[in-house]
Order: sequence, then C-alpha cells, then structure tokens
Amino acid sequence: MARRTEVVDCDVLIIGGGFGGCGAAYESRFWGRDLRIVVVEKANIERSGAVAHGLSAINCYMGMRWNENQPEDHVRYARGDLMGLVREDLVYDIARHVDSTVHKFEEWGLPIMKHPDTGHYLREGRWQIMIHGESYKPIVAEAAAKAASKVYNRIMVTHLLLDRHHPDRVAGAVGFHVRDGTFYVFRAKAVIVAAGGASHIYRPRAIGEGTGRTWYAPWSSASAYGLLIEAGAKMIQMENRIVLARFKDGYGPVGAWFLLLKAYATNAYGERYEEARFDEIKALVGKYADIKPMPTCLRNHAMIEEMKAGRGPIFMHTQECLDTPEKEEIGWEDFLDMTVGQAVVWASQNIDPKERASELITSEPYVMGSHATCSGAWASGPEDCAPRDWQWGYNRMTTIEGLFGAGDTIGGSAHKFSSGSFTEGRIAGKSAVRYLRDLNGAGPAVDEARLRQLAEAIFKPLEEYRVGRNEFVAGTVSPNYLLPLHGLQRLEKLMDEYVGGYSTFYLTNEPLLDRGLELLRMLREDLDHLGAEDLHQLQRAWELRHRVLTAEAVVRHTRFREETRWPGYYYRADHPRLDDDAWHVFVASRYDAAADAWQLEKLPVHHLIS
Amino acid sequence: MPTYVDMTRCDGCGECVNICPSDIMHIDPVYRRAYNIEPNFCWECYSCVKACPQHAIDVRGYADFAPLGHKVRVLREKEKGVISWKIRYRDGRVKEFAFPIRTTPWGSIAAPSSYDAPPADELQSQLLAHEPDALKVAALPALPARS
Amino acid sequence: MFVSNPFSLLAEAFSPMFMQAYVVLMVAAVVAGVLFDMRHKRSAEFFARRRESARAAAQRELGAAAIATIAVETLVVDVMAAGEFDKWQRRLSHLLTAYGFIIYLVTTVVMVFGYASDPETPWAWTALWHLGALMVLAGGSWFFFALRADVAQEARAPLRLRQADIFIVGLLASSAFALVWHAAQMLDNGAGVTMLLFGLYLFSTTLLFVTVPWSKFAHMFYKPAAAFQKRLEAASGASDLPRPAEISHIRR
Repeated sequence: MARRTEVVDCDVLIIGGGFGGCGAAYESRFWGRDLRIVVVEKANIERSGAVAHGLSAINCYMGMRWNENQPEDHVRYARGDLMGLVREDLVYDIARHVDSTVHKFEEWGLPIMKHPDTGHYLREGRWQIMIHGESYKPIVAEAAAKAASKVYNRIMVTHLLLDRHHPDRVAGAVGFHVRDGTFYVFRAKAVIVAAGGASHIYRPRAIGEGTGRTWYAPWSSASAYGLLIEAGAKMIQMENRIVLARFKDGYGPVGAWFLLLKAYATNAYGERYEEARFDEIKALVGKYADIKPMPTCLRNHAMIEEMKAGRGPIFMHTQECLDTPEKEEIGWEDFLDMTVGQAVVWASQNIDPKERASELITSEPYVMGSHATCSGAWASGPEDCAPRDWQWGYNRMTTIEGLFGAGDTIGGSAHKFSSGSFTEGRIAGKSAVRYLRDLNGAGPAVDEARLRQLAEAIFKPLEEYRVGRNEFVAGTVSPNYLLPLHGLQRLEKLMDEYVGGYSTFYLTNEPLLDRGLELLRMLREDLDHLGAEDLHQLQRAWELRHRVLTAEAVVRHTRFREETRWPGYYYRADHPRLDDDAWHVFVASRYDAAADAWQLEKLPVHHLIS
Repeated sequence: MPTYVDMTRCDGCGECVNICPSDIMHIDPVYRRAYNIEPNFCWECYSCVKACPQHAIDVRGYADFAPLGHKVRVLREKEKGVISWKIRYRDGRVKEFAFPIRTTPWGSIAAPSSYDAPPADELQSQLLAHEPDALKVAALPALPARS
Repeated sequence: MFVSNPFSLLAEAFSPMFMQAYVVLMVAAVVAGVLFDMRHKRSAEFFARRRESARAAAQRELGAAAIATIAVETLVVDVMAAGEFDKWQRRLSHLLTAYGFIIYLVTTVVMVFGYASDPETPWAWTALWHLGALMVLAGGSWFFFALRADVAQEARAPLRLRQADIFIVGLLASSAFALVWHAAQMLDNGAGVTMLLFGLYLFSTTLLFVTVPWSKFAHMFYKPAAAFQKRLEAASGASDLPRPAEISHIRR
C-alpha cells in the first residue's frame, strides 16, 4: 500500500517530550548552538507525559543553598528506600545538579510555595517542596520548544534504528504520524530516549471506565523499555516493579498528607498497624527494617498484611489534620494540581476530608524508573565518580553507542521524580553533544531494506483488520485478528495471576512464572495478528507491543532473582527471605531480537557513599 | 472519571483533539463535535477541559466507583496565571478554590541559545548550563576521587 | 450575469407559481424537519428539564429588563457577530457563510415572489443574490477544506464525507450549482446543459432543506437558544463554572 514517507535528518533525536525529553532539549541546545535538535512526541508536548495534569510537589530538591541537604544524604535515602540496590553514582549525579533545575523552573515561572517565616521553599518532607504546579508541564514544554529546532507532535516512535555496519550503534528511529499515517524515518547521530515507563502491564484494580485511572499515566506505554529492549540494550532491575499505597480508586497522592499535614493511617479499628508489625518486618528483612524512613516497600508490606488479616479498610485520618482553612486548601490543592480524579471521588462519595477519613489501598504494580523504583537501561555513569565498570565514556549512554536515556528510561537512578528526570535529561543532553563533537566524520548509515521491513511491519495491523474484517458480519470477535484492547487485557490478566499482581497479594513463584512465560510467549506470537481499525488503534497496537516486550523482561528478571528483596512490591513464595549474600546485585538482561533469545546476569552493586 | 462534551456548548473547534495526551478526544461523525472515544483510557487529567474555549467539556467520575450527582468544574485563566475550581458534592455542598499557576508571562522563557555560549573546554566538565551559579552554592559537589 | 434574475429566465419554462410553491414547500420542510428532530430526540423535553434545574440553581432572580438585555446581547454578540467563536478564522468563515446564506435565501424569495415574471428585476436584488452565493462558497469552502476539525485536527481527507457534512455540502452544492446554472442560462437558456444544471441546482437545494432531521441545519436555531440559556445561567448564578479570578499572579 503506497504510503507517504518523511525522512528527517538531525544531530540529536529526542524521543519523548516529557520531563526527561524537555530537559534533554534545553541542555543540548545550550551546549550545541548549531546542532539540529529534534524532539518527537506521541501526543502534544504541552500536556504530554506523566505530568499532564500538573504536580503539587517537587519530590527531589536538595536545598544546598540553605544547607538543608547534601547529595550524599540523598544517595543514602534512595539506597535505603530501594533496600540497598541503586546506582549510587547516577543518584548522586542527579542530586548534585537538581537544585539548579529547580531554580530555573522558578525563574521560568513555576510558583513555588514559600515558608512564611524563612522565605525558603516550603518543605513537604525532607526531599520534597510544595509547588502550585498545575501548569508545570506547559511551562517546561515552553522551555523545550524554545530549544529544539523542531518539535514533532503526534508521532509514535515504534522502533530504534541501528547502524547497518555496526549493530551496536544507534542510527535513528522510525514511527508513524498518528493523525495522517505518514511513515517517519529519523536519522540521527545521537538519540536520547526519554519515553514513558510501563502502566497497564498488570491488571488494574478498576473495571471498565475506571481502568483509565491508573496511578501512572495510561499513556506511559513502556516505550522507553520497548524501544531499548528490542534494540538489544542491557536493562537492569526490570523485576523491581513498584506498588503504591494511595487513596483508593482515585489514587490521589498521600505525600503532602503524611509529611506536611501530619495525617496518619490506621486499620478499620483505629489501630496503627505499621508500628505493630515492626518486629515481623525485621524478621523478614533484618537490618533493612531499621532504615529510617521505613522503605516504601516495607510500608506497603505492613498494609498488605493488615488487609490480608481482615483488618481493612485502611484509613488515612484526614479529619484530624485539617484544622485551619490554609491546611484544607493545601489538602485540596494537593489533589487538584495533579490528580483531579481523587477530588471527583470525594465529591461523588460525599467525603469531606475535614469530616471523615478516606480509604487507602495498595495499587496494581507498575514498572518505571523515576520514583521509589528504578527499572530501566544500564547506563554509563558520570566520569568523575562512577566506578570503572559503571562507565564506558559518556554519561547516561546505554550499552548501545550513541543511544542515551533519561527519566524513566534509565535504571538504577531512583527517586528522581520530575525535577530529577528533567535533570537527567539535561545530563544526557550535554553528554550527547560531547559525543557528537567527538564523532569525527559522517553519522551512522541506515539500512534501506530494514526500513522497508519496518514500514511494512508498522502498518500491518491496519491491513490485518481490513482484510480479516471480511470474515464476519459485525462486532469485535474475530478468529483471525486481535484488537489491541484484547491483547492488553490478556497481558494484564496473565501478569496479575502469574507474576505477582494485586489479586495474588503480589505473590509469585517459579512454577507460576514459568507458566506465565508460556502464556506470554503465545501472546507475543499473537501480536503478529493485531488488527487496527484506524490510526488511533494502530497507536494502541504499538503501545501494546512495547508493553508485552517489557512484560517479558519483568517475568524473566523476576524468575532470575531468587529472593524477596522488596516485600510489599512483590514476593517470591519459593524464596521468601532477603539474601544479601547472593543477591546484593543488579539483575541485568539483554535481548537478542534476531535470535529471540534472552541473556540474564548479575552485575555488581558498588557503594560509593558510606 | 472520564470526560464528556456538552452538545450545546461544543462548536467543534478541535482544541481538545489537539491537546489530549491519550489521543481519545475525537470528532463525532454525526455532529462534528468532540467526544471521548475511549473512556477506559481517560486519566481525567483535565487537559481537554482546561483547553476548551467554550467550557464545553466536563467530567463524570468513573462509573465503576463514582456515584452520580457530582461536579468538579474548572476555569483556567492563563493570562492571569490562575486556576479556579468549583466542586459540587453529590449531597449539594460546594467548595471553591483558586490557585496560582504561573508567575511569569507566557512565552517569556529565555531560550538557551540566548545565553552566551559556554567556553569550549567546559563541554568536558561536569557543569550543566548556568552552573554553578544556578545551584546557588559556590561549586558543583563532587565525590572524592576514586581509584 | 450579476444583473439578471435566474428565476425570471426560468419562468420561460416554468410558471412562477411552481417556483413559489417550491419555496413554500422548502420552508415547510425545514419547519417540519426541526420539529420532527426535536420530537424524535425528545430534545425539547431535555432542554426544558435543563432550564428547570438552571432556574432552581439560580442565585438571583432576573427581572424582565435583565432578561431582555440578555436577549439583545445574545442576538447582537453571539448571533449577529458570531462572538462565541474563539479563533478568528472560524469566526470569519462562519460570518461569510451565514450572512451569505441569509442573503442568498432572502434574495431568492424576493426574486421568486416579487420579480419572477419581471425581466427588469432591480439589479440590487440580483447582485445580492450572486454576492450571497459567492459568500457561501468563499466561507463554506474555506471551512470545508481547511477549518473543519476533522480535517484540521484529525487529518481526515476533506472529500471523505460523513453525516455531519450534509449541511455544508448542501450549502456549497446549492450555491455553486446556482451560479453555474445561471451562467449557463446567460449563454443559452434553452440548452440541455442548462436544464441539467438547473436539475442539479434543484436537487442539491432540495436535499439541503429536506435533510434537516439528519443534518446540522437545525443547529442554526439551537445554537442561539443555547447561547441565550448560557448567558442567563451566568447572570443568574446558576452556572456551575467557577467565578473568574480577581487577581493575576503573573508579574509583568
């Protein structure tokens, strides 16, 4: 079928226009005034990505100017929260730069709340500051738009391109325009992937319409991982899926409530269960139970155990902390700036937080890299502090030459959130410019035959639908093709049942994982028979493909790590203990697409900071 | 809590189609007005609600857990840098809030290329743009050298 | 061409009585179409309900003078100046198409009822008829090819027609065929081609008026009513939108 093709040549290609991508655009322009810098975004950069609504807090800010924190402290905090396993060099690197990012945000017009006495940024907690962040994304997108040579909106990137002569070097990317179906080929000397992590790979708690209200954006379709895994980049910690304890159904944020407004949670009988379960947690994870603040996964564990013991619902006693109008405003703004859906839950269920408590619950699992979790690509660290085996020349470059990552894409750098993801984008942006300057000679070469192959593969679901539709009268049931939603539901169900979803209380074991892998492999085969009715469905089809590939990495990593490292995120019933002797390591994988083969290994965890 | 579009207010301008991060606001073939084609992929991010010049879009909480009769309406006044909310509960009580959204004029961010170009050798350093000044400390922190 | 009356030329083949009966029939078709649409969809019932709940939610009573003022505002700002449109291109194309259509219709009625047998129709009417049709073509094709949301935002091919396009296509076809038919009349009033073009003009014009229950035609009546209702709600405090903010946070 004849299709319009558009070829775009650039120096730096930034895939994903979220916080990571916007940071990369800004910084690469600062260092590369003459470069052609292109941002490609699946939606509209003004409101794309996980910060579409806005945010009510910046969760990564040191406050070095006021001696509030030092970067080393942040490393200790992130390391503790991840039960010892983070890339301390990457975390340190973000922590030492993030303050300049936040100060620029304020200069650009982001309203940051100030402490009435000191005039310092109003702290929510030790690492978090409160913002009036409804327009956080449009402000940051403005900075990126002023930096990039061009921002392409509504183009979904489906594959990375590798150099035809050097399969370990990136050459660009391909995708399609979601509105008019043009096939796009981006040829680039350096590529920065700052796409989304994975929502919707596990069955959500909701049903029907409610499946839209995932904690992490539904349009975070695992493209960061789907693109990199398929290209053969080394990935780490894909087993480190995150579960969040949030307000039930709306998944509204709890940080400001706990830290700033000093609310507390109890079981249905008013008992503070977290303290009561301390000894049991200590028996499970030893010294890690003494980490302060208590790691996120362990706090989840306490809540999960409490619910299993039949003492739910779990409540947050908001009614005990809203004693002033200012506090009530903060409580509501916390939702309205970033999760309006929770305000809708309150309004619909007649819950006034001043008068009654609200339910909390642990969510379905997600896989991403910028929160209290750090799945993602294995990346080279900063030259001045990364151990030798953690760097190979360019900061934030993956194991594929010329391919950089930022934000959810990069593994091991936990607790960066929005400001840290933008900062990591900046780091990758500068690094990419350095790489370009060092490159002598022409850019990489793209294989024309591969392009033709990809063009056919990308649009195949449209053909499958058109032709296959002739078999039956009407409706959605086809014996020949799968609708993207069908594939998504099958994925979510199998991950939930076999790989530790909410319905199993996050429990799995080797026989379950093996069975899950078997079903997942059949789903992967069925993906060749996806049927897309239109370009919107084609976008859903490719989002599914990225999710399924990511899910396979999750299953394999979960199986490889014979340990329960993060109880409260997931449990290996057949290896219920934390085992520092054998498993104080990163689990890494590499996928060979040509052979359809996976290789898993352990990589050392170094502690740079005491 | 997915979005829905008011038949009498929508004039089919397509701003919502343009902004939706989920690609789910599209134009209906009978009325040429907007509608939500996939409520199960609606995050209720309110991007379309805020972008609609006619205030034609509103949200009805997700049917699987939000009882009827509520309203959470918003007015984003970009040029004033304010967002206002009016929340009506199912039981009729109303709460109103207004918050700042920006302190500088739209379009006023200085492009990175408007700053003096950094010296060539700084490309090799660990400093990012505007540092160390923008850190508001004397120097970029570093770990002691490792062997 | 611009100073001649197509209907007086047509009167050489058809009696003006038939033309006048046709106009009356088309008016009846529009009225019937709108009433049928409202009844079938029970939209009148729905909007009556909505008016009731707006009245119940009103925070202040609006006196007759206030309501009259609002009605005038609606008429002048929303209807006559198409003030609700946010983007100037949509507003301008709407004004061209809407006023063009009104001028085209009114001049048609005047020429059919007043001057159908008169070869000396005042040139103001005939010129306005042409102007009206040209305005519809200008504004309408600008809208059809460039501004329609499904074309502009969804990259839909303009000629892939769907139900929502019946009205605009009918408008464009009727006015285009009207002009082409009249041009053909000027060249050779009795020719087969001229009759064919008249047939196309008649067909597309008829379709425009009889498809009211399925097209967006009736929205030209609904929209002003909705605009009036919206102004009333804002004035009476019944609107559920937040009040505009009093202060600005932007430091200029």
